[in-house]
Order: sequence, then C-alpha cells, then structure tokens
Amino acid sequence: MPLAIQVSAEPIAAAERLSALTGQSPHDGAVASFVGQVRADGDLVALELEHYPGVTEAALGALREQAIARWSLSQAIIHHRVGRMEIGETIVLVAASAPHRRAALEAVSFLIDRLKTEAPFWKCVHTASGRHWVEARDSDTAASQYWRDQIAQEDA
Amino acid sequence: MQIHIRYMAALRDRLGDGETAHDLPADITDSEALIAHLTRSDAEAAALAAPEIRLIRNDRIVTRPSALADGDRLAFCPPFTGG
Repeated sequence: MPLAIQVSAEPIAAAERLSALTGQSPHDGAVASFVGQVRADGDLVALELEHYPGVTEAALGALREQAIARWSLSQAIIHHRVGRMEIGETIVLVAASAPHRRAALEAVSFLIDRLKTEAPFWKCVHTASGRHWVEARDSDTAASQYWRDQIAQEDA
Repeated sequence: MQIHIRYMAALRDRLGDGETAHDLPADITDSEALIAHLTRSDAEAAALAAPEIRLIRNDRIVTRPSALADGDRLAFCPPFTGG
C-alpha cells in the first residue's frame, strides 16, 4: 500500500500510485481520485511550491483522519509535490477508497478543498520576466468553508 | 520575553529571510500585541495586521489571537495556496 501522506520534491507517478490503491479491499466498490497539475496560465513557465515541513504533513494527516472517520474510508492518500514543476506536471494526488461511490467522491472533494486552505503550502509563479506569489482565491476559501460548515452542522 | 520570528512566502520577500530573535516589552503577551509592535517599528510590517495572515507557533498552526511565551518560534504566513 502506498504511503498515506507524502510531501516531496520528487515527481508524483499518479497512475502507479492509483493502481496500488485499487483492488486492495474486497469490500470496496469505489476508488475516487483527484489529480491537480500545473496549468499553462498566461506567461507561466514553471510553478514553485513552498511549504512548512512537519506542519504540512501534520495538517494533511489531520484532514485524512477526518475524512476516514466521516466517510468510513478504508484507504485515503494525499501526495503533494513541492519545489519547482513544469506545465503538465502533477502537483497533488488525492485518492480515497470506500464501499460506495458517494463516500469516495465526497471524501476526495473534501480533502482537496480543505487542503488548499488548511495546509501550509504557497504557490509561486515563475515567468520569463520574474516571479510572483499566487493570491488565495475567494472561491477556494468558500469551498473550504462549505465543508467546515457541513462538519459543524453534523457535530451540532 | 524573546520570540523568534520568521516570515513565509510573500511575507519573506517583503520582510526578510531567516529567523530573527526579537526582545519584546513585557506588555506584549499575545500575537495581536506583537503585530501592533512590529507594525510600529517597520512600515512594511503593516501587511502582518491583515486578518487573513496565519500563524504557526512552535510548529503548530494556531488561531489568532494566540498567546505567546518566552522562547516561542513564530512564523507569519500568507494565506495558504496549495493543491
């Protein structure tokens, strides 16, 4: 079974890691996944990801535990790349395995939405003329808040 | 009280690299008083007052306001933009 949480400067072999997750449990009818990759956006030539070692892994681990508990997942992985990456390269892989599709799909959605605002990563865009830091998007904050509200309602 | 401060990502570009020890007046006991203090001494530090700035205290993400203790390591973080 692949590592549950991995933050590394090495390229992510998403297909291999997904195939290591499938067919693992006879009780699971669904494996859902999300692969985020570097988009050719304006004058971007490369993307650089900074993070806070130790704190990042802890934040991802906490989100994974929440997802496993809430959706009764049998497996969940979050692999995130850091450092410099080129257009088309994988930034992040999130996958979840569960008895039914709804749980797996929702868990993946939760994990990617929450990790964007709760794990200490920062994106820096490199262009031919320099570099600039990516600003947080209101839509990402709203997506993360949606799950926060969902969980607060359930716990109430 | 002495606090070790560092700045992450965009804040590092504006406020400097590396961890710096700050000797603070006794009346500064939490993050918001610290931010007010830093803002007074450096106009560039005004960015720290923005409510979306996050704090990592001794390798844990904390909410603001956060209490501070002697010897704390504090990282000021712009909003996270991973994924």
